[in-house]
Amino acid sequence: MNKSPTTTETKKSPGFWRHAWLRFRRKKLSMCALIMVIFLSLVAIFSPMIAGTKPIVCKYKGRLYFPCMAYFNTNWENPIFQKDRFRKRYPKNLKQKDPESWAVWPLIFQDPYRPVRDSEWKDRPANPFNGGEPSRLNIFGTSKGKDVLAMMVHGTRIALLVGFVSTGIAATIGIVVGAISGYFGGWIDIIISRIIELVMCIPSIVLILALMAVIEKPTIWHMMAILGFTSWTGMARLTRGEFLKLKESEFVAAGRSIGAGPFRIMFRHILPNAMAPVMVPIVFGIAAAIKVEAGLSLLGFGAPPPNPSWGTILNAGMTNYTEWWQIVFPGIAIFITILAYNLIGEGLQEATDPRLADPKD
Amino acid sequence: MAGYLIRRILLGLLTLLLITMAIYALIRHMPGNPLATDAAMMNPENMPSEEDIQRMRAAYGLDKSIPEAYVHWLTNMVKGDFGSSFSEKKPVLEVIGSRVANTLLLTVPSLILAYILAIPIGLFSTARSGKTDERLVGVGLYMLYAIPSFIAALFLQLLFAVKLEGTAFELPLMGIRADEYETLTSTERIWDRLEHMILPVISFTYVSLAYYSRFIKANMEEVIRQDYIRTAKAKGLGPIRIMIHHAFRNTLIPFVTLLGLSLPALLGGAIILEQIFNWPGMGQLYFRSILTRDYPVIMGLTFALSVLTLLGQLLADILYAFVDPRISYQ
Repeated sequence: MNKSPTTTETKKSPGFWRHAWLRFRRKKLSMCALIMVIFLSLVAIFSPMIAGTKPIVCKYKGRLYFPCMAYFNTNWENPIFQKDRFRKRYPKNLKQKDPESWAVWPLIFQDPYRPVRDSEWKDRPANPFNGGEPSRLNIFGTSKGKDVLAMMVHGTRIALLVGFVSTGIAATIGIVVGAISGYFGGWIDIIISRIIELVMCIPSIVLILALMAVIEKPTIWHMMAILGFTSWTGMARLTRGEFLKLKESEFVAAGRSIGAGPFRIMFRHILPNAMAPVMVPIVFGIAAAIKVEAGLSLLGFGAPPPNPSWGTILNAGMTNYTEWWQIVFPGIAIFITILAYNLIGEGLQEATDPRLADPKD
Repeated sequence: MAGYLIRRILLGLLTLLLITMAIYALIRHMPGNPLATDAAMMNPENMPSEEDIQRMRAAYGLDKSIPEAYVHWLTNMVKGDFGSSFSEKKPVLEVIGSRVANTLLLTVPSLILAYILAIPIGLFSTARSGKTDERLVGVGLYMLYAIPSFIAALFLQLLFAVKLEGTAFELPLMGIRADEYETLTSTERIWDRLEHMILPVISFTYVSLAYYSRFIKANMEEVIRQDYIRTAKAKGLGPIRIMIHHAFRNTLIPFVTLLGLSLPALLGGAIILEQIFNWPGMGQLYFRSILTRDYPVIMGLTFALSVLTLLGQLLADILYAFVDPRISYQ
């Protein structure tokens, strides 16, 4: 009101999320955790380039190929290598079948799915099958001949994928169900709340094991879906609470008065305002999903081998405790990942809680 | 109160009905035949004939459609008959009963330990909030909390059963008793049992320990900012008396809900931990019965666990009203 008309431009105050980020950035531990998660994501994205037996890029019979992409999806391997009978042994075959060829190799010549054989790579000896202690060639040792480090590098991909996909499913279900229940209220709310309570009553590991057993050939994608479908209740309850509170606010009444439909109000107007408290359990949910996946794989109930999930390495380690490297290294990896997500969740909680806001900001 | 209780119990019964129905439908859809998992029947020499299989299917109620079989199970269950285990050929109640004690042997000590340790740690953390020693304890607990119990269990096994093998600190890797248990004297037997319990109990305890003490601290932090604490300080009470009598007693309300909610874990044990330690408890039974498709046992365990979960929730709500006179269920 008392602003002089000469001010040409008012400085735009930073938005809620910008504020939250500024506050989050001040917490050293949470920032370290964020860097750790970014590092893990990079390892996951570049896993075939870090450890593998297929060239990152190679020139073969006059054309460029990227055989390492087969680690993401076996169909992405060019059929020419099957036709030319490479049988997954690239170094020798490339030289034999096309002396002109060249290739850029992954940092570590080890495969997460199979043991490397004798002189597959220059004069490198085969991986030891039993008692493959950590050595210069197998930094984290071997598990039934397979290099543990290579398995862990590729396992990062599974851990990350499980965390994001299953929590994504859970968050989507939770938010939609919670939003509908909180916004519409009445008998819809009663029914949905009953269903949430019902699902909460079933111990989740019991339900997960039963569901995994129903699927004849479970893959890692089945597991992610099951984890997602069994862990949405907490988020639904939280979203419901937020919606119950927010639907009484003026901006919702305003939206309604100009004729916005219920779904527009729910997801365009209320949801962005309810997002902060819902984000926190999502981050913790990622950590929980990674933990449950590791636990299931440890029981041998995960995706079938040869999948290099961290839990699967633990499962192999449990059959022979003297090969400690199969337990210690994946165990530490799981611990660090869960710790990192927990720290981020905690930092986010403090950064988005208006009660803890610094009035000077 | 009575009306509230009746409503809750009726609702609980409906919940039970729906849960058992859902689980029954699920397990009947599992691939694999429960009659074909027995090793003796795998032997080609005494393969059961087609008629035998039909007779067995009828005896176990597998020839009925799923809804029919569920109703059959339900009516028998109401009469107290949970059927008998496919793989052990014994009544389900007997099979479960033989394992309850083993699981309680792990969960009860670990629950008591967690509470006994968590309360002083929580009070200590509040009293020394922000000081270096409190920070160290806090960081330690936080780290512990991030280690899944099954990884801690594996690490403990590596340390005490493999690395320290042959020293005085050696502890058994797994199992509930030594092979030569029968030949031991009674004091040796107690020691043997204790020795086998140490690692599983630690693995069971420490996650809840970290959780409870952080929980107590968070609640205490809220309470010590209240006016009545300042009043207590102003009238010259000692810090310990304020901590315990004035502050801690007021954090009991959220604490009792935890107690109620830990009831199912008490009997459910932990499937993964019991599997790692090869502990013949309820968790292991559940895991095995899923593997062998032992429907009656799965149903019995699911039923027992669901009842406990519902009871725990009810107990928490009743305790709530009991410790906080502001809450009433009229």
